[in-house]
Amino acid sequence: MDNILPSYLIMGAILFCIGLYGALSKKSAIVVLISVELMLNASNLNFIAFSKYGPAPSLTGQIFTLFNITIAAAEVAVGVAILIALFKNKGTSNVEEMDSMRY
Amino acid sequence: MLDNLPILSMIIFSPLLGVLILMFIPKEQGRLIKIVGVAAAFLPLILAVMMYANFDHQSEDTLQYTENVEWISVPLNQDGEMLKGLSSYNLQFNYNVGADALSLVLILLTALVSAMAALASLHIKKRWKTYYILFLLLMVGMLGVFSARDLFLFFAFFEVTLVPMFFLVGIWGFKEREGAATKFLIYNGIGSALMIVAFLILVTTAGFTLSQPDPQHLDAIYTSSLDQIMTNLSDPTAYVNVGTEMQAGSGVENPFFLSETMKWFLFILLLIAFGIKLPIFPFHTWMLKVHVEAPPSVVMIHSGILLKMGAYGLIRYGVMLFPEQAKDWGIILAILGAVNIIYGAILAFRQTDFRLVLAYSSISHMGIVLFGIAAFNVIGMEGAIFQMVSHGLISALLFLIVGSLYERTGTMELSELGGLAKSLPFISGILLFAGLASLGLPGLSGFVSEFLSFIGLFDTMPVITVIGTLGIILAAVYVLRAVLRITYGPIAVQYENLKDARLVEVIPMVTLLAFIVLLGVYPSVLSDPLKHTVDQLIQNIAGRVGG
Amino acid sequence: MESTYSQLAWIIPLSPLIAFFILLSIGRQLKQYGGYLAVVASLISFIISVLIFIERTGSDMQNYTWNDWDWLSVDTISLSMGFEINNLNTLMLLIVSFVGLLVNLYSIGYMKDDERVNVYFSYIALFTFSMLGLVIAENIVQLYIFWELVGVCSFLLIGFWYFKPEAKAAAKKAFIVTRIGDVGLFIAILLLFWYMPNHSMSFSAISNAFIQNEIEPGITTLIAILIFVGAMGKSGQFPLHTWLPDAMEGPTPISALIHAATMVAAGVYLVARTFPIFESSATAMTVVAVVGAFTALFAATIGVAQNDIKRVLAYSTVSQLGYMMLALGVGALSAGMFHLFTHAFFKALLFLAAGSVIHAVHKQDMNEMGGLGVKMKITAWTFGIGALALSGIFPFAGFWSKDAILTEALNQNVGYFIVGLTAAFFTAFYMARLFFLVFAGKSRANHDANEPHSEPHESPAVMTIPLIILAVLAIGAGFVFTPFNPWFGEWLTGAAEEHTNWTVIILSNLVGILGIGLGYLMYLRGSIARDVISSRAPGLYRLIHNKYYMDELYQIIIVTPLKGLGFVLRFIDYYVIDGAVRLSASSALYVGRLGARMQNGQLQSYGLASLIGIVLLMIILVGRRFWNVG
Repeated sequence: MDNILPSYLIMGAILFCIGLYGALSKKSAIVVLISVELMLNASNLNFIAFSKYGPAPSLTGQIFTLFNITIAAAEVAVGVAILIALFKNKGTSNVEEMDSMRY
Repeated sequence: MLDNLPILSMIIFSPLLGVLILMFIPKEQGRLIKIVGVAAAFLPLILAVMMYANFDHQSEDTLQYTENVEWISVPLNQDGEMLKGLSSYNLQFNYNVGADALSLVLILLTALVSAMAALASLHIKKRWKTYYILFLLLMVGMLGVFSARDLFLFFAFFEVTLVPMFFLVGIWGFKEREGAATKFLIYNGIGSALMIVAFLILVTTAGFTLSQPDPQHLDAIYTSSLDQIMTNLSDPTAYVNVGTEMQAGSGVENPFFLSETMKWFLFILLLIAFGIKLPIFPFHTWMLKVHVEAPPSVVMIHSGILLKMGAYGLIRYGVMLFPEQAKDWGIILAILGAVNIIYGAILAFRQTDFRLVLAYSSISHMGIVLFGIAAFNVIGMEGAIFQMVSHGLISALLFLIVGSLYERTGTMELSELGGLAKSLPFISGILLFAGLASLGLPGLSGFVSEFLSFIGLFDTMPVITVIGTLGIILAAVYVLRAVLRITYGPIAVQYENLKDARLVEVIPMVTLLAFIVLLGVYPSVLSDPLKHTVDQLIQNIAGRVGG
Repeated sequence: MESTYSQLAWIIPLSPLIAFFILLSIGRQLKQYGGYLAVVASLISFIISVLIFIERTGSDMQNYTWNDWDWLSVDTISLSMGFEINNLNTLMLLIVSFVGLLVNLYSIGYMKDDERVNVYFSYIALFTFSMLGLVIAENIVQLYIFWELVGVCSFLLIGFWYFKPEAKAAAKKAFIVTRIGDVGLFIAILLLFWYMPNHSMSFSAISNAFIQNEIEPGITTLIAILIFVGAMGKSGQFPLHTWLPDAMEGPTPISALIHAATMVAAGVYLVARTFPIFESSATAMTVVAVVGAFTALFAATIGVAQNDIKRVLAYSTVSQLGYMMLALGVGALSAGMFHLFTHAFFKALLFLAAGSVIHAVHKQDMNEMGGLGVKMKITAWTFGIGALALSGIFPFAGFWSKDAILTEALNQNVGYFIVGLTAAFFTAFYMARLFFLVFAGKSRANHDANEPHSEPHESPAVMTIPLIILAVLAIGAGFVFTPFNPWFGEWLTGAAEEHTNWTVIILSNLVGILGIGLGYLMYLRGSIARDVISSRAPGLYRLIHNKYYMDELYQIIIVTPLKGLGFVLRFIDYYVIDGAVRLSASSALYVGRLGARMQNGQLQSYGLASLIGIVLLMIILVGRRFWNVG
């Protein structure tokens, strides 16, 4: 019971690393977006784990997670909208080709 | 009547009145804008003349018209063991202005030259409104620099001059104006950076002051007041001077102590910071571009006053704060002066653009200021101050003429000019006159300053002085070469029908000329008010150096 | 005796100064009256000078000094301005105001066709003011101020016809070469300032200090020589003489006033004024004498081979100034000043007469003149008198003064005497050459058909009257100081100087007559071919004709190196100093570019970079705990 917290944390870390890897290395913008979601959920997992098993358990973490989920949903909506617009303009969803902010 | 008015602040900020009015004038109303701009530029002149008239030359108290208002006070963290006993612990910046004769003279010069430059600015062809607003802001900065008695206030005003100057050069200049403005900004920015570093170190060490208004209270402040810092630096019992321990043998580290090495470091920082502005060889290249690319009316200000800010800073913040170091380096200052004189003169002789001739001649003339400072006696210091004023007037007059000539001929290349005395007898006459003043003709202001500076330095360093006197010959060579090239000789066809000076050009020319003659014929008009200030200045140095 | 008029001496320079301001401000409206204004102003100066002179000849007068104007006070030192009247500068006042008056008068005629005539008169007025101020200056700083002012006036007047390139070059040269001398004087003043007790700069204090040997000998010599360098510049002594012949580009009356009678004599006056300094240094005296003697001979030989009428006179002026310096160098103050006095008259006369010739024929080359004596009787006669006076023929004024100098030179050193005598021979020869070429024989003017050429005729009275007055003085002025009447020397120095020496009298007349005779034979009779030198020794002739290549020498040793140095420094300034600045600017830019290259627009690589950053930070943070660093 006592040392269940690390399991959650390790799970969160693994999720985060997978997300990070995906966000940094995948070419498809959709996959990158999904990876970002993974990272968000990794942090959500941490919030919940700490709110239950942390040194000062409280509901705050769980409420925060609810907010995160809401915002993540909104963010995905906006992100996908941007991607569609980009795809219409450039005909691609490859992030490597989206470098118009280059020096 | 004047006693109760903050006249110095009025002088500094009176141009802002013009800025305020200009803001409400639509930019199409060129004529009105020019009238308001010129009128506002004359305000400080009127006030400064009143101040000069009211200045008590005889008073032993050389600093007059002082105003000291608390401005920013930052309470500091009192956690330390030693700080518990303090009733207050603040970082204190004050609005502290005041004028001794040195400031007075330079304020007058600034007011005069800027007023004349404002008249000369009537040539300006575009965006009058912005021009005059920036011009007036520049005036505020310059007047403030010469009146500030506080390190940060000085720095703030110093920076205030940079920004309008940058735009004045960059917008209204000639072909390569952006480059010139950038170079100006970068160089002066570096100078300012060095200056702020030196000032910060000074405030946190020499600026630490304890005061005990009554037995219950012990106040500690970090002050940026020039006078307080100077007092602390010259007080052997002040923390800044006592040594690495707060009390001898107490073992408590003294964070306020400035070692000799540190003082040298600060002095050299300040020397470079002001040396860029002066300019001292080899930091001079930035001002060449400004001289060529800036509109002549702005160069009047630049060459006439901004360069003097370097000399003023060097005297007030370099030499006065670190007299031992400065005096030790007297010989180096003198050598730098000689290099400036000779180097500037020889290069002035080789230039093909009249504005560059004048730029290099400014370098040469600033060498004489260095000579005067390096002498470390009353005569030399007076010579340096005379040279600042005299060069301010002469170079302003010369660039006034450059403006008038350029407007008519469209070129300043010496090879393309010639024989203008035929069609422009008045301007040519004034140009010849200004040239003679520039080469130090007796009876005009340049002579008095050369005479005093050379005499002053001759006492301690005769050989360097004699080398410097070569500059007198070279000055004749390059001035006559350039001036005669423009005015004498056969006239080119395209210049035959030029119109001579208009009234609006005649007025500033004659005014500046009158002051040049006045200083040359009756130098007491400047030396009498300066007497006490310079005496005290040199006494302070002698007191610190001990001899 | 009360010094009533000496007190009024300040009016003497003031009057031309006022004229200057009036001419400057409303000259254009004055039209031809400007000349009269100038004449009236110089007349006032002259009258007061005469009154002072009369007052001072009456009896032993104390010097009158007024110096209450605190010009500049610095520290404990106060420099005052004022004036001092003594016999020496009374004499100078007389000469300057008198020649100034005549030249103003003459100029009314000479310059009447010039449209800028009132500018001309204003310059003369300014010059007269400065010169008179120089003369009565009470201290050496004041003298230096006026010294430079006369230099500027000379510059302005040489360049009066500013549109002529030669005038421009000559004016520039005059100013710069004299400035070289002036710097010598300037350094002398610096030395005096620090070595004089109480920093006193007044001439009386300087005299006292040096008479009582209060200043150490090495410094004394240095000061004296530096003062002499100043005098060399102004008085055209070798090697700073090159500007004076070129100065002839100015209007001829100016050559008479400034470059013959007054300003160029200022150097001699300066040495005389500071004579106690020179007297306390034997070395300095020798330098003065040697330079003077050398210049006298050197310039006289050049005068032989010049063809421009004014240039001959200019070299003769240089040569005569050398005589004066020689006199001072051998310690004969009164002889030197006496020569200055007589020379002012006959040289002004010669120049004005030459001006009259130029006015008539509009040429300056003697080879194109000839036969003018018939057409211009007054000019020819007065010129002849001046030439005889200059050649030192008894009983003209020049004879007495030259005789006084040669006698003193012989007393000192035979070498000086021989040099002086040789120079006198050349002087007589080139004056005879000049006179015969211009006035005698037939006209050699080649009439240009395209050019309407009126016959030369005598100048108007306003020009000839000054000539006649000066001619009278060129005959008579010498009698104030003869072996039989030493009044002048006694009055000037207070001590009688004996200088009767029949050998000198006979010898100097003899060489004078010889010179004239040779000139007569060569240029009038033609019994000796004119080109005897130029054909037998062309090298020598070319050397002399080209003034010993002095200008070329200066070009090579001073001007070219200076220009070269300027070129090199300009190179350094542009490529090294500004180059360093540009280099640092561009390297900053380059570093910036490098950084910019990382901005590749790939969001993922940014993310990777920040990931690496965070990992590094974490390693540091965690590592700190393990390795116990901080």
